[in-house]
Amino acid sequence: MIAYVLKTLWRHRTRTILTVSGSAVAMFVFCFVGSVQEGLHRLTTGSDADRSLIVFQENRFCPTTSRLPEDYARKIREVSGVRDVMPIQVWTNNCRASLDIIVFNGADPAQIEKSRPLKLVSGSWDQFRSQRDAAIVGRSIASRRGLKVGQQFSIGDLSVRIAGVFESTIPSEENLIYTSLAFLQYTRGLDSAGLVTQHEVKLTEDADPDRVAAAIDEKLRSGSVATKTRRKGAFQASTLSDLVDLIGFAHWLGYACVGLVLSLVATTTVMSVQDRIKEYAVLQTIGVRPLTTMRLVLTESILLCLVGGLSGTLLAMIALSLGGFAIGAEGATIAFRPTPNLAVSGSIVSIFVGIIAGIAPAVQAATVPIVKALRQP
Amino acid sequence: MALVELHSVSKSFRKGDETITPLDDVSLDIQAGEFVSLMGPSGTGKSTLLNLVSGIDRPDSGQIIVDGTDVTKLSRTQLADWRAANLGYIFQTHNLIPVLTAYENVELPTLLLKLSASQRRQRVELALEAVGLSDRAGHYPRQLSGGQEQRVGIARAIVAHPKVVVADEPTGSLDSETSQQVQVLLQRLNQELNITMLMVTHDTEVAGIATRQLVLDRGKFVDRMAGTQR
Repeated sequence: MIAYVLKTLWRHRTRTILTVSGSAVAMFVFCFVGSVQEGLHRLTTGSDADRSLIVFQENRFCPTTSRLPEDYARKIREVSGVRDVMPIQVWTNNCRASLDIIVFNGADPAQIEKSRPLKLVSGSWDQFRSQRDAAIVGRSIASRRGLKVGQQFSIGDLSVRIAGVFESTIPSEENLIYTSLAFLQYTRGLDSAGLVTQHEVKLTEDADPDRVAAAIDEKLRSGSVATKTRRKGAFQASTLSDLVDLIGFAHWLGYACVGLVLSLVATTTVMSVQDRIKEYAVLQTIGVRPLTTMRLVLTESILLCLVGGLSGTLLAMIALSLGGFAIGAEGATIAFRPTPNLAVSGSIVSIFVGIIAGIAPAVQAATVPIVKALRQP
Repeated sequence: MALVELHSVSKSFRKGDETITPLDDVSLDIQAGEFVSLMGPSGTGKSTLLNLVSGIDRPDSGQIIVDGTDVTKLSRTQLADWRAANLGYIFQTHNLIPVLTAYENVELPTLLLKLSASQRRQRVELALEAVGLSDRAGHYPRQLSGGQEQRVGIARAIVAHPKVVVADEPTGSLDSETSQQVQVLLQRLNQELNITMLMVTHDTEVAGIATRQLVLDRGKFVDRMAGTQR
């Protein structure tokens, strides 16, 4: 009977191809929206987000406006529950939301190597440590900008030589460019000698993040610049708050895509059943059970959805994998990544939508009065 | 005991304000191996009777017993199973599945039975051979003539070795020469394979190939003629 379904779909191949293409496009968008949401979720809820704190200048948002003394690191280390502190100078080409944001993080190369989950896929740590203007770039930005080891990369007043390309277990890291802190502090135009944008604090295993954050702000209250310390996840969510609202709204776009596939496949299946209602009556006259007739129609709609959905999902996975897409604002970035979870969701949604889209026409085909249907021309 | 028994079967339906009664308290017995033709003016209940015997329609009252099974008491699913095992249906307009080849069309009813692949293949080949279309097995309906399509339809009706084959105007859409060939084929199947047949026709010449000819008018049998064995 599956041969009958396949041959039927092939016989109406224009309709089949159009429906499959429509489903593919909709599922492509669905997966893209899903990857943005997953990226945001990872950024705000990962272990790194909960067990690290960011000390930032109070009431400041864009990295260029936060200017904390580098020396604060020493004071922060004295707070109970703090395991390590990394002063970071952040430079970004754009504080507003952008799909091609460039973010430099300047920090001590030894600390970067020790504290960041980075693995060089090309280049060397030695060169990064020894060369003043050396930079290591995340593979997403390398792929997006076509950067390779040995190349000079310039943007604005910054010009670095690429010493390595890295991958990271934290996808948003792969949209960063790391340089040495001193290089970024002394770059022309930044005028940041002795100053940093933020301090990143690693906590001891038993430390309560909120309590430590409050203790840090309290300790630095007497300093020259007041600070606001938050968990890294909360800091990033706050930094990206405008985008978070937008991404929250975008999940409706995902549902709209599912609705689009549903209406597209349901329309095609209804038309197909109505065109062939006599054929289904003939099958039942021969002895095909009503339930089997239902299954034939459902198989047709599921196949349409599945082929379209899997194609769209596969294309989205390839595009996400090769594109290195990210959206960012104020120095924080959300990476769009293909994940097994996304592929499984796309496949399950396709099957589910195929079943829902096929139910009404399947019932129609199975319950049609046979004699009345046989009288149709 | 007759193979097909109709006891006081009535069927009516509404058409606008009018109630039409195509079958009014009709009774009929058909013996195994009989070839019965049903004639009568249009709208007198011939096709309705055929549909009731086939179990694709239900009577308002009465009993229809085929080989001991009261088909009026079966559910829609049970009726489908019963038709798959016991009934062959020859349509006036062939009604072959257009996306399937002649072989696949004939194979369809065998897929509903518990048969092995080799048994299915054997039955389909025999059925196609019986209607003289072994060389057209791989052709699609659009590649066949009207007469060939009807012969495929006949092969499909007999392939599952049904107890009864019903035919609704089987020559109604064919030219006279092809109609003649189909008549010969139906007669041969009845005589050589001993298939019990119930055929609706408008054509007295076609009705003549049956061993018994019945005439329906206004919902009742008005005349019963004992056919001569040909």
